[in-house]
Amino acid sequence: MQYHLNLAHLYGDLLNTYSDIGNILVLKYYAKQMDTDIDVQIISLDDDFDPDKFDFALFGGGQDYEQTIVSRDLPNKAAAIKKFINDDKPMLAVCGGYQLLGQYYIGADGKKIPGVGALPHRTETQVNNRFIGDIRIRNEETGEEYHGFENHNGMTFLGEGERPLGKVIEGHGNNGQDGSEGAIYKNVFGTYFHGPVLARNGNLAKRFLLLALKNKYPDADFSQQEALEIKPTY
Amino acid sequence: MALKSKLAIAAGKSSYWFLHNVMHGGTSLPGKITLAIDPDVLKELAKDYEIVIVTGTNGKTLTTALTVKVLKQKYPEILTNPSGSNMKQGIVSTFLSAKKVKNGKKIAVLETDEANVPIISKYVAPTAFVLTNIFRDQLDRFGEIYTTYNKILQGIKLHPQAKIIANGDEPLFHNLQDLPNQVVYFGFDNQPDQDQKAPANTDGVLCPNCDHILHYYSRSYGNLGKYFCPHCGFERPELTYRMNQIMDQTPQSSTVKIDDHEFTLHIGGTYNIYNALAAYSVGAKFGLLPHEITKALGADDKNIFGRQEVVHVGDKDVTIILVKNPVGLDQVLQMIKTDKNPFSLAFLLNANYADGIDTSWIWDGSFEELPFDHIPSVLTGGERYKDITFRMRVAGVPEEHFAQRPELKEAVNYIKQMPTKHVYVLATYTAMLQLRKMLADEGYIKGGME
Repeated sequence: MQYHLNLAHLYGDLLNTYSDIGNILVLKYYAKQMDTDIDVQIISLDDDFDPDKFDFALFGGGQDYEQTIVSRDLPNKAAAIKKFINDDKPMLAVCGGYQLLGQYYIGADGKKIPGVGALPHRTETQVNNRFIGDIRIRNEETGEEYHGFENHNGMTFLGEGERPLGKVIEGHGNNGQDGSEGAIYKNVFGTYFHGPVLARNGNLAKRFLLLALKNKYPDADFSQQEALEIKPTY
Repeated sequence: MALKSKLAIAAGKSSYWFLHNVMHGGTSLPGKITLAIDPDVLKELAKDYEIVIVTGTNGKTLTTALTVKVLKQKYPEILTNPSGSNMKQGIVSTFLSAKKVKNGKKIAVLETDEANVPIISKYVAPTAFVLTNIFRDQLDRFGEIYTTYNKILQGIKLHPQAKIIANGDEPLFHNLQDLPNQVVYFGFDNQPDQDQKAPANTDGVLCPNCDHILHYYSRSYGNLGKYFCPHCGFERPELTYRMNQIMDQTPQSSTVKIDDHEFTLHIGGTYNIYNALAAYSVGAKFGLLPHEITKALGADDKNIFGRQEVVHVGDKDVTIILVKNPVGLDQVLQMIKTDKNPFSLAFLLNANYADGIDTSWIWDGSFEELPFDHIPSVLTGGERYKDITFRMRVAGVPEEHFAQRPELKEAVNYIKQMPTKHVYVLATYTAMLQLRKMLADEGYIKGGME
């Protein structure tokens, strides 16, 4: 392969409830078609996260208990994660990972659990209710439609400088109130989508890969990669 | 006996008699009727029994059946509940159906739903709790493994005199040793030590003692294995009963040694070796000798192993396997890999409530490890065939050997034309029911569904 990308899988051995391993398999699948191979490294509890060693990152969701453990370890990595994001490196944060990048979320026991604070959103809780089911959104900038499955109690409210990943066509999205789903901040994509999100939405996987490639190889010509046709999988 | 209990039992028994002899079926209805008259009736019904509660998320049914088979070597009359009747009503119905035992011990081996362990434990005094494992189910991903474990624990804590026979390879079960109960562990001891971690998408790898990531000297599957924590020194407890060696595995059988006694278990799958080992441990605890137990476990008993059924469709042997959660799926994939002959594979995926409405879990099965050069034909179908089709593509299925048939009728026709004698059909719950109905309509199997 001509190109090589290093992917940091943040807490991949703890935040793995929604088959986020599928996102990695799908990235590798499309990357191969883009003449790119991917090395994956799990960055977990007690590991150092060196933001300069990685080209993009995945931050998944887990069970409440595991997420609490992760939140306790996060302060050790918060500065590195912020640097990574400020260097415009792409990150995909799903469900719990998305919540943890923000200011805080409310745990199952009602306690406020602090996030990394890298993104301005906050996540509140709803009493005895979850948003569960198929969801469809449209990204306003590209016009692309994304499909997914949502299953979350948290109600996320975006902050200044964040725009939604898409506008809800069907389903609940961030909070069931303002019609937004997910967040885009610099090159970070946050979302509640399972499916996994990249398996259902190959166009998003392609966009994510291209961002990482162009970041790492600013002088290379990626017109062939850009021309890759993504067939619908859903 | 209180009058209320007498009345309740009489009503339940007569409704059981009616359902069993007139309607030719037994359901949880007798239990329901009985419980409506006397909610505490279980106490009365169970009072003379030695009770073994078998619980855990996976493997309850087979462990229960094998335990009954083993104990019957010594105690001819064992009461047990039919598969699926593992909640309070079903268990009451089971006692109502009990024949009178003339002499000797009255033993009941009860498959018990995890959440029903504390409920049942309020009424009965178990002699032993048998704990298989705690895996996450795709149906209820927020029924966290810790919540499930605590439910079981609540029940056990009511009975400090009960023995605990637990899977020593399950890290969550380590802390059972802190209870006043006598605890014995069974586990696998068939691989050389080598420091490793579980694959990234494994649940339950946090050290229950210090919340760091567990390592393993050897691992069987999921988070089961000879675990240890490099951070705090926590490690797998001493095993009392061990599987020493796997000599051979096929999708239909496993030849193993337990406590150095070799036998062939007539059902495939590493997970079923654990079930046999659990039954072995109960037998040993009840005073049976190793060779008596392995003789019982090694019998090819169609009543016990019938769940994974083979249907003859024309000249094909079609094995239909239910898949319902990530660990189960992964184990099934590992099992069919052990087929020594080329085989064909079909996957029928639905996403109705009983299947799990989120299909994400299919990504946790290691389809990548399937020997595609050994599988000349792969088919996907079901209402969510698109999801499983892309899963197969990402796993690297060769396009020239791959087909999709969304319509069940066409999928069945395609299966009939597959180029190998062995066909494995992996299906989610409702897809399996639909398939069975169609095969029944076409006369390949008797009856529709249970």
